[in-house]
Amino acid sequence: MLAPGGLLLVLVVGVPLVVAGQISLLDLDQYTFRQWLDAPFVGLDNYVEAVRDSALPHAIWVSAAYAFLVTLITLPVGLAAALAAHDRFAGRGLVRSVLLIPYVLPAFVVGTVWRIILQPDGVADSAVGRLGLDAGLWLNGPRSFWALVIVQAWTAWPLLYLLALAGLQTVDPEVHEAAAIDGAGWWVKLRRLIFPYLRGPIALGLVITFLHSVNNFTLPFVLFGVPSPRDVEVLPVLTYVESFQNFQFGLSAAMAVFSLAVVAVPIVAYLRAVRLT
Amino acid sequence: MKAIRGAITLLLGSALLTACGSDDGGGTDGAGKTLDVLIGANTIYPEQQRKWFDDVSAKFKEQTGATVRFETFATPNDELTRIQTSVLSGQGPDVYALGTTFTPTAYSTKAFVELTAEDWTKLGGRDKFLPSTLGISGPDEQHEVGVPFTSRPFVMAYNKELLAKAGYDKPADSWDGLRDQAKKLTAGDVHGLAVAYADSFDPWKFIWAMSLQAGNPLVSDGKARLDDPTTAAAYRTYLGWLATDKVVDPAAVGWKNAQAIAAFGQGKAAFLPMVSATSKVTLDKSSVAGKYAYAIMPTIPPGATSLPSGGEGATSILSGDNLVVASYSKNKDLALSFVKMLTDVDSQRTYYQTFGELPTNATFAKELQADPALAAMVESSSKAVGTPFTGAWSQIQLALVNVVVQSVPGLSSGTVDDAKLNGLIKEAQSTAQGALDKAK
Repeated sequence: MLAPGGLLLVLVVGVPLVVAGQISLLDLDQYTFRQWLDAPFVGLDNYVEAVRDSALPHAIWVSAAYAFLVTLITLPVGLAAALAAHDRFAGRGLVRSVLLIPYVLPAFVVGTVWRIILQPDGVADSAVGRLGLDAGLWLNGPRSFWALVIVQAWTAWPLLYLLALAGLQTVDPEVHEAAAIDGAGWWVKLRRLIFPYLRGPIALGLVITFLHSVNNFTLPFVLFGVPSPRDVEVLPVLTYVESFQNFQFGLSAAMAVFSLAVVAVPIVAYLRAVRLT
Repeated sequence: MKAIRGAITLLLGSALLTACGSDDGGGTDGAGKTLDVLIGANTIYPEQQRKWFDDVSAKFKEQTGATVRFETFATPNDELTRIQTSVLSGQGPDVYALGTTFTPTAYSTKAFVELTAEDWTKLGGRDKFLPSTLGISGPDEQHEVGVPFTSRPFVMAYNKELLAKAGYDKPADSWDGLRDQAKKLTAGDVHGLAVAYADSFDPWKFIWAMSLQAGNPLVSDGKARLDDPTTAAAYRTYLGWLATDKVVDPAAVGWKNAQAIAAFGQGKAAFLPMVSATSKVTLDKSSVAGKYAYAIMPTIPPGATSLPSGGEGATSILSGDNLVVASYSKNKDLALSFVKMLTDVDSQRTYYQTFGELPTNATFAKELQADPALAAMVESSSKAVGTPFTGAWSQIQLALVNVVVQSVPGLSSGTVDDAKLNGLIKEAQSTAQGALDKAK
């Protein structure tokens, strides 16, 4: 019974992973491309180059920092939206659908629209100017980092909302009744009774949001283009540039292996947490 | 490992390639054969391009009996992916139309046919082409892969009304002169120059041109020369337009090429450097229609009043498309006949009339020289110079643009920070040299 799924997994995940691992040990570039896996073997040279001579360490730092901030922002926003959309009220179905819009829009569309909003003399600048603040650059320079955080958080929070909402539906109605009889206030009720139900779905939501953010290529690529401004030089874009603009496939594969390590950290933490509970 | 490699080749071959070269022998008698051609999708004239495909196909069938199957790619990345998968799997289009600056990279993959003297004869001889267009066909005459197909030289559009009002009859021939004119032409919300600082390609073309005019081709004998003072001067000039001369709209730090064209089209700029003839389509529909003209860009480098000794008066990078034949193609002779047909006078005339792109065919180019509306383009085409022919050029290009991208946040301070600029240039030099050192 497991055979078809297992075979698919080997083909779709296993083979590319092994090949990526092998390419990362080869001097595969535009000159040796035709030799493919027979390109000169260079051992760990690509890894050394990635760490020592490329922007990889900086990119890991930028990616992890921005993904962490995005995850942090989406938690209260998603949770508040879920609590608001949980209770029965007129038009709840519509509100629930509208809240999902940022999540279902293709990243390319989100990037293009926000690029227009954030460009010099754009909507964002005039809004900031009206508040009496200095209008400046959003798509390059230090503020570009915050632009990336804001836009990614804008598109990512509905996932948390969705999972929290699903969690809320699992709360036994008797729990609500018991709390009402005992005269528990809303905060106590939320903290002591509801949150325990949500811990699982929220932990999953946080891990997925972090991973999505770390792996998001389209949004930073469309928002900032290449070469990336240094403040938003994230891992996927760096890896892409090494492969498809610089043709350093070996080096780029080594970078991809490093990103695998970055995304493995929250996955392992999550799996451990799940096992513990 | 062999099994895995086989599986991958199979996957790539079947999933990513829609076309495969036919499996039959050579010879120009192409009855029953199919030739696959990959060419960039023309977003300005999509309808016309479809018709052109049909016409070319019909004509080729009449000449050789073979069918031509055209495929298009939407972006340079799309093109690259197609080349990569085809090179890897050893099957795919027989003929590719490649951008000129991509030709050195394609050459370095060794996946395309190096043209022998006999091949050139089959194409109608090297003499058939404008000499300048052959400048980026290969590292030298004996190792050429690219056959010049179309020429899209870069020129500068200028607003005739604004210039006349300021008392100028034509744009200056030096970058310093252009800056001075631009200063005089900047008033209110009209700026002297429209420059796309956030474009992924435009910036390096400026830096390359100004450096070369000052005698520095950026790469010579396998050595990168980005740390030469001429290049720093080029960056200071280019960034200074916005930071210190204030002849560019400050919002231009976020502009791509199309936005610079749009600003010029709204009459908000006097000069629009670094555009090709394709900008005409947009500008003729804009508010400056009939009020603008094209001229070649300055050829005298920053800080000079005449071309210095050793400097090259390049008007533009050698820009356009080259046709290359895949070395895995089983239809090499047929492919060469096809390339010959596309570069003959008749086809070049049709192509020019349909898409407005300049010919590479010398005979037809001569015919066009007489047209005053095309004078700037034709002149630029004949004085265009090829970018260094090295497989590392893509990396060098990116390193050159990176200096501009990382400099942009500092420009609003009203100065070009020399220390920071020199640091960025040093970094670009090291990237460029690193890439050149890896050349095989």
